[in-house]
Amino acid sequence: MHRKGKGPTDFADARSASQENSVSKKGETKSPASTPKGLSRLALNRRHFLAAGAATLATPYLSKIARAQGSDVNVGVVVPLSGANAQFGVNSRNGIQLAADQINDNGGIKALGGAKINLIIADSTSTPTNAATVGQRLIAQQNVVAILGAYASSLSLALSEATERRDVPLLTMSFSDMITGRGFKNVFQMISKATTMGAAQLRGPAGVAEKAGKPLKSIAIMYEDTAFGTSQAGGLRETAAELGIEVVMDEAYPLGITDVTPLINQLRGTNADAVFPCSYLNDGVQIIRTMRQQGIDMPVIGGAGGYVIPDFRAALGEYAENVFSVAPSNYDLAPELTDPFKERFGYFMVHEAIEHAVCLDVLAKALEISGDTDSDALREALRNNRFEGGWAGIIPGGGVDFDETGLNTLAKPIIVQWRGEDLVTVWPDDVATKEAVWAGK
Amino acid sequence: MAFIQAVLDGLMIGGVYAVISIGLTLVFGVMGIVNFAQAEFLTLGMFVAYFAWKFLGLDPLIGSFLSFVVIFGLGVVVQMTLIQRVLNAPPVAQIFVTVGLLIVIENLTLIVFGSDFHSVTTSYQTSTLRLGPLFIGVPYLAAFLMALLSAAALWLFTNKTWYGRAMRATAQDPMAANLMGINADRMRQIAFGLGVGMTAFGGAVILPYFTVHPTVGHQFVVLMFTVVVLGGLGSVAGAVVGGFAVGVIQSVSTLFFPIQLQNLVLFIVFLTVLAVRPTGLIGAAR
Repeated sequence: MHRKGKGPTDFADARSASQENSVSKKGETKSPASTPKGLSRLALNRRHFLAAGAATLATPYLSKIARAQGSDVNVGVVVPLSGANAQFGVNSRNGIQLAADQINDNGGIKALGGAKINLIIADSTSTPTNAATVGQRLIAQQNVVAILGAYASSLSLALSEATERRDVPLLTMSFSDMITGRGFKNVFQMISKATTMGAAQLRGPAGVAEKAGKPLKSIAIMYEDTAFGTSQAGGLRETAAELGIEVVMDEAYPLGITDVTPLINQLRGTNADAVFPCSYLNDGVQIIRTMRQQGIDMPVIGGAGGYVIPDFRAALGEYAENVFSVAPSNYDLAPELTDPFKERFGYFMVHEAIEHAVCLDVLAKALEISGDTDSDALREALRNNRFEGGWAGIIPGGGVDFDETGLNTLAKPIIVQWRGEDLVTVWPDDVATKEAVWAGK
Repeated sequence: MAFIQAVLDGLMIGGVYAVISIGLTLVFGVMGIVNFAQAEFLTLGMFVAYFAWKFLGLDPLIGSFLSFVVIFGLGVVVQMTLIQRVLNAPPVAQIFVTVGLLIVIENLTLIVFGSDFHSVTTSYQTSTLRLGPLFIGVPYLAAFLMALLSAAALWLFTNKTWYGRAMRATAQDPMAANLMGINADRMRQIAFGLGVGMTAFGGAVILPYFTVHPTVGHQFVVLMFTVVVLGGLGSVAGAVVGGFAVGVIQSVSTLFFPIQLQNLVLFIVFLTVLAVRPTGLIGAAR
């Protein structure tokens, strides 16, 4: 199960990320339409004072990945490579490395005389203060043109304080509504906001159930009480009210819960038509196992996070079958782009890897347009253009187009479902690769 | 009925809390050292049982014995090489050693095993016993029974064997024990090995319903300290009582309050107990 990169050289058939991509100039900024999804989780669960102390002591680890050349463009990557979110950080880094190698193999940034992308990767740990600290350090010492990261919303929120202060663009795939909700001018959110993700998490399955002739009447919501879970549950709740679906259970639980039995006891008493848990891996796996123990077989629609990674299937085996989740993107939408990831890293390209690749791709395209690494020019290029094709095209909705808050207005969440070892896109119909299976009553 | 179910769930998980905490209290009882790295041995125990399952096909409940043996050995080595040196050092030095150990173990597991989450699959994982309206998950019940078994074995060891009595003698008065021909250093090695081995055992038996990753210890460390201090630092019986108390308080509180507040309720009870009985539920029976 250990994932190791095989090194950049075995990536022979690298496609040009920039060559086949079109970038259209657009006039004014667009109206905000879509929102994100919430993947972020607070790392505040380290209630243990010691752990906090240890995290402080452990000096964040900086590694230079590529050779430093005079004309290279330094791009900062701040992701959690240790702590509770480490696995997701590693996935994110892999996605960025894949995209960076493709760009460099195709001649780098042509508008900058073929300058290579030089990734400076820093471990944010899973603690927000560290995310801000290493971000600050990248800006001060490494002269980065932009920063990508930091997966979890709580980390990205802390990091964005540093990038905003130092006027460096931050491209992120975190979900929280607060990312672009604070009027920052240097933050760019690649996917829909958490409330939009929550809305889609309910709208998708509601449509699927309707089609199966078993319309949803009552649902149960359970979520981790982090920035991610809380805002996504908010979207679920509002949408339920709009669709006239009764919420028969609405329960938050603490991050790092050690026993989910009380949650499932409560769920058993509700007789809901479907359950919507917003959780990471460990709690998600516990929830499904305990449900199965108690013979509860209602459909499960996860809130991304732990529900859309290969380990979910590895942990649950057949019990993962037909579990749904909302997601900002999925690898089966563009196999020609994501297959090289699987070849190189040995597992399917999880959504955080895809969206981080998109972050770098969009940054490279913006650099081609601005022809300048100055942050004002770069910010202009990001904000005033519509990015399509290449990695940007994999975002459901067709591309990336930031509004004045920095939110990608084109992004639309999708619903995915487990089929054996694979995760297939089942909603909305215009992008679905397989028919949804609805086992509800 | 919901109340009885909640108490039952609390007892099931409380038994496991008790066993993982016994190790912490044992080490403190015999050596007067607070091992901040204790929860990391839980992580290691889980990893040993996981790999025993993956490569040897051993059920984690059987693998738990392997975990115990391996971590016992590791504990003896740690005691000989690290803890022994700070036995008479100022408390600050002792804290630095065990905290350092925590950081080293956590980061080593990250480097060696990666940050992935691992989980086992067993046949009884999703089965449950029904007693009328009551549900008991089989993996919870199995972990509970294994926990009781190991606590009973520890009790027999400390009370009925020469080594156990010698260990307690060392705890009470190392010099007198030495004069009676007891090798106090050896006893401390056994005590530390047993302490971390028990915690590793407790980690292994919860593997059927819990995933393991290098930072899983964070999820238990606060609970472990709560259990131990609630029961009375240094008292094995206290850890057992404390473990059950913490499990039941967490579980029953969810009947009256949101699950989010289960630890808040726990800590309010905890503070109240300490205010009334600063030595914990079972006095400081060092």
